[in-house]
Amino acid sequence: MRLQGKHAVVTGGRQGIGRAIVEAYVREGAKVLTCGRGARPHGLDPAIGWQTLDVSCPQAVGAVAQAIDEIDILVNNAGVQIEKTVTESTDSDWDLVMGTNARGVFNLCRAFIPKMGHGGAIINIGSISGRVADPSMALYNASKAFVHGLTRSIAVDHGPAIRCNAICPGWIETGMLDAGFALASDPEAARADALARHAGRRFGKPEDIAAMAVWLATDEAGFATGQLFTVDGGLTAASPLRPELF
Amino acid sequence: MGMLDGKIALVTGGRGGIGRAIVARFLREGAAVYAADLTDGGSLPDLAHDDSRFLRLDVSREDEAIAAMDRVRAEHGQLDILVNAAGIEIEKTIEETTLEEWNRSFAVNVTGTFLTSKHALPLMRKAAQCNSSASIVNFGSYDGFLADPGLAAYCATKGAVHALTRAMACDHGPEGIRVNAICPGYVDTPMLQGFFAGEGSGGGGKTIDQLQQAVRDVHPIRTYGTPEDIANLVNWLASDEARYASGQLWVLDGGLSAQVQQMKL
Repeated sequence: MRLQGKHAVVTGGRQGIGRAIVEAYVREGAKVLTCGRGARPHGLDPAIGWQTLDVSCPQAVGAVAQAIDEIDILVNNAGVQIEKTVTESTDSDWDLVMGTNARGVFNLCRAFIPKMGHGGAIINIGSISGRVADPSMALYNASKAFVHGLTRSIAVDHGPAIRCNAICPGWIETGMLDAGFALASDPEAARADALARHAGRRFGKPEDIAAMAVWLATDEAGFATGQLFTVDGGLTAASPLRPELF
Repeated sequence: MGMLDGKIALVTGGRGGIGRAIVARFLREGAAVYAADLTDGGSLPDLAHDDSRFLRLDVSREDEAIAAMDRVRAEHGQLDILVNAAGIEIEKTIEETTLEEWNRSFAVNVTGTFLTSKHALPLMRKAAQCNSSASIVNFGSYDGFLADPGLAAYCATKGAVHALTRAMACDHGPEGIRVNAICPGYVDTPMLQGFFAGEGSGGGGKTIDQLQQAVRDVHPIRTYGTPEDIANLVNWLASDEARYASGQLWVLDGGLSAQVQQMKL
């Protein structure tokens, strides 16, 4: 077990990528505390700690950090997305997206870095959308670029004690993806087209991201810091222009 | 007053699609221009061209690079601007690509940039001593950052040009020689039209017109580029206005590579 005896905090562990990271960390022997805005989800292993928390609130995050004795690994996974362009976005959209995705990562890092000893690891969930634009996702794209920039700053400012990296997932099979296809005029054709754009001819699974999150947390990744690791099945290695798919 | 008044320029691939537009722009801006290419008509033999001086050059041959620079030295004694625009494209995966095709791609796109630049350097140093700066503009591609399917050797050569550009900028910056690369996306050239003709007759069932429109639609600015669009940036990089620009890769692609692949949702 690669994370035996480690203490981890993972934000946004209710479902999807966060839940997969929580479960992978537990399998590797870590003691995990996770959090979300709602109540403890049903079926969560009793050995896993749950904290109801809005990461965008600095006081609430500070209180959780105060109550914790040990932390070796921090995973900033909690995130929201709103599908709008800049001109469509409202002030409350800004507060929601930037509050969770940008300020939330800042809040957690500021509160927990002082509690992490030498050998601590921070893993932020960025996105391919922070590197290339998804249409009508303006604030989300920008919030993920913030995460990428903050990742480098933390690595530079808080090394060598703490390593900080970001994972940039591509299209991961979650409820969000199915909902997107359901809205297409021809859901089956949409799914086939999207699959054809992935070199691996499949979408990612939350476990694919969790596998990288495990590796980055281990000492095997001791020389990895300040980097963005894209796990997207080859999606962004290819040009956006694919004549064979017209 | 042109932006390049009094400058001496050499453009490889100068009778090709993009090269020809660069030569025409340089002439308008007041430079004396050598259009270097395999033949005087280049890849557009049926089109009239300007009165730039043609210079026969196979960029993959060192003796021809030396002879070309000997002529520039004899006629002008210096070279202010070198544009390495000569390039070829093999539309194949690595499995389909023969060793000969692979070597030919590197010989033109990478070795050609190396040889022409190497033998131009003494003349460019002279220009830098007189005018404080000389400028080399290499041709990379957005394909040096992202893969187009079935274009493996081309993608690899352009990635090599990007790295070579930074290396040359580091090594020769202290001598007053700036080195940059332009990374075009889809530009209306014989190379692109050949690509359309190949795809259009394929299994997609689309006419060339439909294919062209589909390509335009993928771009955020809803069109692909013209050789003149590329010449606009080459001209700026060649001019003294760009005196602080060096070692960079300048993507010019109508926003194509700023976006993720566009799913049909």
